[in-house]
Formats: sequence, C-alpha cells, structure tokens
Amino acid sequence: SRTEQERALLKSTTLYVGNLSFYTSEEQIHELFSRAGDVKRIVMGLDKVKKTPCGFCFMEYYTRADAENAMRYINGTRLDDRIVRTDWDAGFKEGRQFGRG
Amino acid sequence: KRRRTEVVDIEDRLESLITRVGEKSTSSLESNLEGLASVLEADLPNYKVKIMRILCQCVVSMPEKLTVYTTLVGLLNAKNYTCGGEFVEMLVRNLKESLKTGQWEEARMMVRFLSDLVNCHVLVAASVLQMFDNFIEVTLEDNIPQVRSDVYVYMVLSSLPWVGRELFEKKEAELNKLLDTVDSYISKRQKIHMPALRVWNVDEPHPQEEYLDCMWAQIRNLRNSKWLEKQILRPYLAFDSVLCDALQHTLPQIIPPSHNEEMVYPIPRVIFRLFDYTDVPEDTVLPGSHAIERYLIEEQIDRIIHTNHFERKDCAAALLSYPVKNKLPLNYMVVEVMFSQLFQLPCAPYLELFYGSTLIELCKLQPSSMPQVLAQASEMLFERIDHMHTICIERFVNWFSYHLSNFQLRWSWEDWSEVTSMDSEAPKAKFVREVLLKCLRLSYHQRIVESVPESFAAFLPIKPAPQYKYEQEGAGSLPGTTAAHALMNAIKSKCTPDEAAQLLRDLPNKFPNGDENDNPSYHPLKIDVFVSTLLYLGSKSFSHSFAAMAKFYPNLKSLTETEEAQIYLLKTIYNTWSTHQQRMVVLVDKLLRTEVVQCQAVANWIFSEQMQRDFTSMYVWEILHGTIKKMTKHVDQLQSEVDEARDKLDAAKRKEADGMEIFSDEEVPTEEMIERMEEKLETATSQQKNLFLIIFQRFIIVLTEHLARCESAGIDYNTTWYKWHHQLVFRYINTLESLLFTSDIDIHILEVFQQFCALRS
Repeated sequence: SRTEQERALLKSTTLYVGNLSFYTSEEQIHELFSRAGDVKRIVMGLDKVKKTPCGFCFMEYYTRADAENAMRYINGTRLDDRIVRTDWDAGFKEGRQFGRG
Repeated sequence: KRRRTEVVDIEDRLESLITRVGEKSTSSLESNLEGLASVLEADLPNYKVKIMRILCQCVVSMPEKLTVYTTLVGLLNAKNYTCGGEFVEMLVRNLKESLKTGQWEEARMMVRFLSDLVNCHVLVAASVLQMFDNFIEVTLEDNIPQVRSDVYVYMVLSSLPWVGRELFEKKEAELNKLLDTVDSYISKRQKIHMPALRVWNVDEPHPQEEYLDCMWAQIRNLRNSKWLEKQILRPYLAFDSVLCDALQHTLPQIIPPSHNEEMVYPIPRVIFRLFDYTDVPEDTVLPGSHAIERYLIEEQIDRIIHTNHFERKDCAAALLSYPVKNKLPLNYMVVEVMFSQLFQLPCAPYLELFYGSTLIELCKLQPSSMPQVLAQASEMLFERIDHMHTICIERFVNWFSYHLSNFQLRWSWEDWSEVTSMDSEAPKAKFVREVLLKCLRLSYHQRIVESVPESFAAFLPIKPAPQYKYEQEGAGSLPGTTAAHALMNAIKSKCTPDEAAQLLRDLPNKFPNGDENDNPSYHPLKIDVFVSTLLYLGSKSFSHSFAAMAKFYPNLKSLTETEEAQIYLLKTIYNTWSTHQQRMVVLVDKLLRTEVVQCQAVANWIFSEQMQRDFTSMYVWEILHGTIKKMTKHVDQLQSEVDEARDKLDAAKRKEADGMEIFSDEEVPTEEMIERMEEKLETATSQQKNLFLIIFQRFIIVLTEHLARCESAGIDYNTTWYKWHHQLVFRYINTLESLLFTSDIDIHILEVFQQFCALRS
C-alpha cells in the first residue's frame, strides 16, 4: 500500500539514479557514489531487448546515513557531462533493472 | 481544550516572531526590534518562561544574530527590570551546564552574549570582567591539560571584539591586568602539536599560526586601535537614549567546574592561509591576517557552513549573500575558508564531497567570478604543493579531479608543463599523475588522453586491462596452463563450485612459474590458477567480478584458510589487475567484507615486496585506510551490540525487581548470550590491536631502513619519499598503543608520535 511504500522509502538505503549516459559504466558510478559513503551494490539498468545499459541504475549503500549524503551532495551534479538525478527507492527487486528498450 | 490550542498557537507565533527578527525585511531592523519588544512586553505576564527559553535558544543556535538579540534583551530589560534579571539567570544556568558537560561552542556563544549585554546596559561591566578573570585563572591551575586552559582563554578572547571597548572605557586598569595574564600564558604554551596540524610545513609566503597565537595577535591589534572595529553590527547604538536609563544587573559568580579525566576539550588548530591582499582584485581589500575583521568574517563564514552543510545550495547562497561591509573580497574569503576546512587536520569537519559539491554551486551562482577565484586558488595550491602535508595533497587530488569532472575536464595543463621534466616522485609530478588517475575513474581512458596536451603522455594512466598469464605467449610451459584452460571452459559451461575444485585437485604445490613451494600452509599454484581465471572471466564489470566471487565463494574460502594463502590471493589480484587501481580497491573491500581475507593479511601484503613499487601510490593508502576503517567499524558495531544487550538485561532485571511481568516477546538476552557477544568483541579488539601493531612495526622498519640507507650513503634523509611516509604514519597513531614506541626507536619516528600525543595534552 501507499503508506507502506512511504515507510519503506524513509528507511531505504537504496537510490534510483537516473539521467545517466548509456555509455557511463558501473565503475564510474561507483567512483562518484563511493565519495558519499560505502557502496554495497550497484544494479545497472538494462535495455529489455539488447541487455545494454540504458541510463539508470540502483545504488545501494550499507547505511542510511551514507545514502542520505549521496542524496544531498550528488543529486544534480555531473557525471560524464550529464546531470545525475537521484531519488529514494524502496529497494531493488529482481526484474526491475530492465528498462524500456 | 480550545484554550490549550490557543496557548500553543500563541507560543508558536512568539517563537516565529523571535526567531525571525533580523531577517531581511521591508522595514528597518530598529523598528522591527522596537515592535517586537512591545509585543513581548505585553505577553510577558502570561508567557515569560516560554519567551525566555526561546531567547536562550537563539543565543546558541543563531549566534550570527547575536547583537540583534542582545538589543532585544536590552529593550526588554529597560521595560521590565525583573524580566531582564531572570533572563540573565536562565542564561547563566545554561552556561554553567554547558561548561560542566563540555559543550564548548555553546558556552563560548553564551559568554559572548553575556559580554555584549554590557553594551545594552543589562549587565555591569565589572561583573563581566569578573567572569573573565575567573576563566583566565584556569591558566594558573596545576596538572591540567593545556587544551583546558586554552578553551577558557579562547572564550574570553573571542568575546573581546564585542565588549573590549566598554571594558577599556570603564575598567582600563583591570582589563590591562587581565590581558597581561593572557600574554604571559600565551608565551608559555607548548606547541609540539603544530607540525602535525600544519597544512604547509614552511612559513612562506604566509606564516601558519596556532589558533590562539593568531587570535592573540588579532586582539592585540584591536587593542592598539582602541578597541574599535568596523565589522560587528551593533543595533543597540540606535537605542542608546532608551537603554542608558535602564538599571543594570550584576552577573553572579561563574566559576569554571574543575577538571576531571572524562572531560574532553577541543583540539587545537592551525590557521590556514592561502590569500593575502596582493592576490585579490585591486578594487577590494582583504583584511590582513592579524586584523580582527579577518577573524570576525571567517568565523561567520564557518558558522554559515555549519548551519547549512546539509543543503549545499542553501549553503552556497547563504555564503554569497553574507553582508560584508566596505570592499571586502567575499568570494576569496569564502574559498579560503572552504579550503581551510577541507584541509583541516587530522580530519575535515564535514564530508569531503560536501566541499566539492558546494564549490560547484558557488561557481553556478557566481559564474563570472567564482570559477576564476577557484582556478587561482588551485594554481596557488599547486605552486606550493612541495610544502603541503601529504594528507592534504590527497584531499587536493580528490577534490580537483572531482571538480574537473564536473567541468568537462577543462584545465590549462600547459601552465603546469614544468612537471614533464621533473623527477616522477616530486610532489607536483605526483599530483598531476594522481589527478589523471582519479579523473580516469570518473571518466574513461580515451577522454583523458584527449584532454591533456601530448607532452603529458608520460603522466597518462595505462589503459586498464586484466593480465591473464594462461593465455599469454609462453603459457604452454607453465605448470598451471592445462588446469586453467579446463577451469575456464568448465566455468563458462556453468560448473558447480565442487566441479571447479575437482579440476584443481591434482595440481602440484608449486609457484605458477614452476618453482617449488616448501611451505605447506598454502598452495600458490591452485590459488593462482583459480583466482586469476575467475577474475579474468569476471573482468567485464565490478558486478561480473562480484557475481563470480559469490558463486565460487566456497572455493575461495577453502583455498585461503591461512594468512599466507590470503596474502597470496591478494598478490594474484595484483598480478591480474595492477593496471586497474579502482578494481583493486573494490575487490579488496569485497574480500574483507565477505571475510575471505583478514585485515592483517591486507596490511602485511601492502608492506610486502610486491607492493614496494606502488608504495607511494594513493590507491595503496586508500586500501589501507579502507581496511582500518572496516576493522574499526566492526569493533564499534560489536561494542554497541554488547552495550545494548546489557542495557536490555539490566532494564528487565529492574522491572522484575519492581514486580513487573516480563513479556516473552521483549527478547531479553541471557547472561550467556552476552558473554558470547563479549568474547566476540574481545577477539575483534585483539585483532584490531594486532592490525595496528603490524602497520606500525612495518612502518618503523620501512622508515628505519630508509634512514640507515641515507646515513650510509651520506645523503639527506628528508627526501620526498620520506616526507610522504613520515606524514602518513600520523594518520594511524590515533589508536596506537604506546608499547610500540620504546626508546630504541629512531628519534624521527618518535617525534611523530609525540606530536600526536601533544594534541590532547
């Protein structure tokens, strides 16, 4: 339900990261986001058909505090010359990495 | 019920009125203050305590509006003498509590507030002077750490810009006596901690002063100009005719609570200087380093950063809208304070990324000047890098690469082409190389190649690629090649961990080059074949590497049961990925977290012969810091678990004693459970201690060897290499047991340790 969803967002340690270039690699994302804290996992968003990166990823931290720092200091700054957008995400589930083709 | 909501409404309204006075407004500050004082006067009979609490809160949470609130208190006191007295009493109670609990910054703001109340005719000058005397008397106490007397002296000195003039006019002789005591204290202070806290190790072009020395020089200057300064807003001057008729209170005695072992005092600082008046545009004037205005503005900038550090955009906007008087180069002062925090030793007050992203916002807000100021600052930092503390060079590299990557990697590298003819270990050359490595991590190889001039070719990072010996020329003669190929095919056709282990079973206990291994505690060939094949197959991305490691976790575990085996695993990773530093960092992190390798193994590997050639590379230290951090977090985690369990059990016991029923769903831990947890904690603590011992012993060996080498060759020990290591040690001494430092250790190493100890002495 909606309130459950909201509660999950308040406790989440995962961010949705959007507006990435298709060519931006997991390693570049890792370097930038590890400056906010310890990165636990990155799940790259993939094109449903071609299985290639398609401009977004899920970024999971070990702690909420580190994820908050990423929201504060990375959202709206540049990676690979593109302005990165971050949002809270309720947590990655298998299958969600496939975006529109 | 309706009555209660009304009360809350009125209280909220009062809070909003009080906290917002002094903000930008269409009418003058004076008329706002006058209006507010009248409103509060009318509400005093019903809401006195609430009003006073709000005011006390403003004293500590909005010190940037200090004089606005002292004026308001002055006006209230003029209207209602009892109320003024009760406010002072409440504030004094808060101050005493802060001194007792070590809330030094809050205490300092309250002391300053009380001082300024003299200007508003709320307090008698003599009684504030008495408080100062009591504080300065701490300098005469025996057997106390210097940081204790420092904090009291600092509270007094940093209040003098506000109240110095009044004291000078009314109590000159007493003021002079007080200042004489301060002078003799300042001249007697120990400053062993200085070299460890200095960003620059020379005093050219700007002396690096200890914070109290600098403050004292600024106060002496203020005294020489008859205590007149031009920066503090003093709204009470407009109300002189009202205020001068008011009755004044006498401050009760405020005696500093005596020292005890648990009390923690602020550690000293060294004032960072980057700019002087010759660096700023001609139509502006940067106050000299001993001008009180420099202090006052810098303190406000610090304050703005502190208040806004969670919101970088608000922070940048607040910094640039700070109302400086005259023709001050605000942007230069902001940049200097930002860097002074970023480079603060031993650690910056906020996350390093905060400074990077806020500097970007500053550039966005002031695109016509801020980027130039930052470029100028970078230029100057680079120019002075030979004398910069190693830890600060690292932070400079991290910031600069981040900044470039946010601005299309544009930089006038030609201006730095001097590095192309330098020794590769020279700090400037090292800086350029490390910056390009960090830029590479945020970008990609081709892009870096294209963004620097051709003359910088030698500084370009190697294009990262895995090295896999079993597919290279000459692989046929290696003892592991057949097994490696079989393993590769098996993994590609999705074999199980067991099947993979079977393929390695018959390999002889040799080294990959065919040499015999006579140490039965590990099996280098098996490790090499398995790990290098796994890493090679998972080379496409971090996720591929992690997935491979996760699937074959049992194999990794069984191959690396001993420390020798773990070190060999790390060596294999290096052989595969030496061109990809970031990959190394990330893989070691993963292996530590999944407990395939132990912290001690990482430390021993870093000091091993293999890593010698990378020993001054930043990524090696990144790995070591990461290792120490994880170890420390692990210990802290276990400690808090033990504490929490203990608390739960104690609470349950109390409840039981009170005759309360314990519900089974409360999950009270048993004594045995806690004992087990404590055992785990003990093991971790001894591992941590061991880790530090290893690091220090190895450091001492490395440094002693270097000193001996230099002595026998008759050269100066103080090379860039020595400087690099010598300063890095500093970072770890933090948790060091003194047992390591016996008298037979070289004096230069001992020095570092003593410097650090001096920080808290």
